[in-house]
Amino acid sequence: MNMSIQQVVTDEAAAKRAKVAGRRYRRQQSAFDILILFAVVIGASVVYGFISPDTFAFNSFANIQNALYTIPIEVGIPALGVGVLMIAGEFDLSVGINYIFSSIVAAQLATNGLNVWLAALIGLLIGTGIGLLNGLITLRLRIPSFITTLGTSFFWLAATFFVHGASSQPFAPDPVFASLTAGSVGVIPATFLWWAVLALAFWGLLERNRIGNHIFGAGGNKQAAIATGVRVDRTKLLAFGLAGATAALGGILAASYIGNIAPSNGQALPLEAIAACVIGGLALGGGRGTILGIVLGSALIFWIRDVLLLLGAPGFYIDAPIGVLIIGAVAVYEVLRSRRS
Amino acid sequence: MGIDGMDKAAAERPVQRGESVTPLLELRNVNKHYGLNTVLNDVSIHVGQTEILALLGDNGAGKSTLVKTMSGVVQPDSGTLLWEGKQVELKAHTDAAELGIETIYQDSALVDSMTIARNIFMGRELVGPLGFMRLKEMREISSHVLKTIVAIEGIDSPDKLVGSLSGGQKQAVAIARAVHFKRTLLILDEPTSALAVRATEALFEYLRSLRTQGLSSVLVTHNLYDAYRICDRFVVMARGQVVFQATQQETSVDELIVHVSRG
Repeated sequence: MNMSIQQVVTDEAAAKRAKVAGRRYRRQQSAFDILILFAVVIGASVVYGFISPDTFAFNSFANIQNALYTIPIEVGIPALGVGVLMIAGEFDLSVGINYIFSSIVAAQLATNGLNVWLAALIGLLIGTGIGLLNGLITLRLRIPSFITTLGTSFFWLAATFFVHGASSQPFAPDPVFASLTAGSVGVIPATFLWWAVLALAFWGLLERNRIGNHIFGAGGNKQAAIATGVRVDRTKLLAFGLAGATAALGGILAASYIGNIAPSNGQALPLEAIAACVIGGLALGGGRGTILGIVLGSALIFWIRDVLLLLGAPGFYIDAPIGVLIIGAVAVYEVLRSRRS
Repeated sequence: MGIDGMDKAAAERPVQRGESVTPLLELRNVNKHYGLNTVLNDVSIHVGQTEILALLGDNGAGKSTLVKTMSGVVQPDSGTLLWEGKQVELKAHTDAAELGIETIYQDSALVDSMTIARNIFMGRELVGPLGFMRLKEMREISSHVLKTIVAIEGIDSPDKLVGSLSGGQKQAVAIARAVHFKRTLLILDEPTSALAVRATEALFEYLRSLRTQGLSSVLVTHNLYDAYRICDRFVVMARGQVVFQATQQETSVDELIVHVSRG
């Protein structure tokens, strides 16, 4: 039945204003801001690298290759899972120890004779299981995921020492596995390809699949999602599982690339992954974010360390600028957002 | 009586055949307490077919709990619920949703960070294989819904983010969604409290039109003047009990004020 309401706005200026405001608001959901930030900082680095290549080897093949190898395994791949979980409105602080535990178990199994692919699969399943357990505890007991995963991270740390001890675990898979996980296709590292494929898959899930709609709903307005029939708990559980899976995958690829796993690594991963997501434009409260943002945020965190190292900054100074970057980036996004709306 | 809009409302309303028509939803002798606090005390009300019912009363009267009982969010301790004359048990809000009951909240139950189209189809997405959404279709249907069910001014595209809409526009989208998915009973919780005058007028137009399309609505509101203009019947609650019921012809705004403030 056709029904018209009164007084359709005929004032062209008003209609145009509304259209522009709508377009601006739409952009807030895209990764536009971080794309600009990324382009600016990389552009500046490339330019400076050309101006002074001896003191700042940014554009060297070695530096670029190292970046492409390292970003995915150091933060890029785990950040995908952490980010999707954040959009769903939850956190996982146990991804660091998950990264270690899953890969140590896989490496140990492989070193003791199990088929390396099977060992890797078991590692992945363990990681996914850790994530799902986080989800079950959070959702059934109705406690904040921040607390749950804080608690489980201690548990899995103890489990790591129990299963393996404090020494590092070597990992020397057969050449096929090694080349598929840590080799390269031409100049492009395998780890980067894994990251690219995963990012694409996650994008498809988040932006094109019904599950993604539910993830945004669960994180953006949980009551609204429940009211329209979304199974919020089930959706969140899936996100928890994905966070665990990507953590384990990152750990296994890192183990293959580096050749061993030290239990002391991975301490910084959860907060770095969250930082990457926040820099990438994700809202801490959930319901907002893009895969491109997560990818670029991960790259930016690596970039700032890389630049400082290239400039010869002492190791312990490196983390301070990351703190500045996190606060600065979010402050800039807030200013841009409030200016538009 | 010369109250604005009353004549029009009376003219548009289909003729009631009195008690022989089965109510859409009926609550009989419903009780609910939380600990020692009795929130609903032997409440019996009904919502007729194609009726706009006002649920009035001061804070703490039990209106919130009553509508939550209607929408399945709260289960009564005792009493009966009947839907179209048949007894039902609403153990969860999904049971109510299956019957066609939908609550439109004050903050509109939409997700600000998503587009109108994705909000309209939230939980009811059109999907192809593996759950991938048929976005083009969803957008086209959303455009159509925005134009025909409730022609909302100022919204030209289903790709607009809901967060950029005004309160009235969000309400309209939420109502349009409910109508599109063939809801039969809408419960509106304080729908006009955050709306400007023009948006309130628009909302009343929607509700009148919904009634002629066969939907009933329950309006929970503090605004007695608004309620009197749009509603067919009034139920006043106080301290968990129904203290007054009347149709629009049987009462006046002044009388309603007396009953509400006395409670």
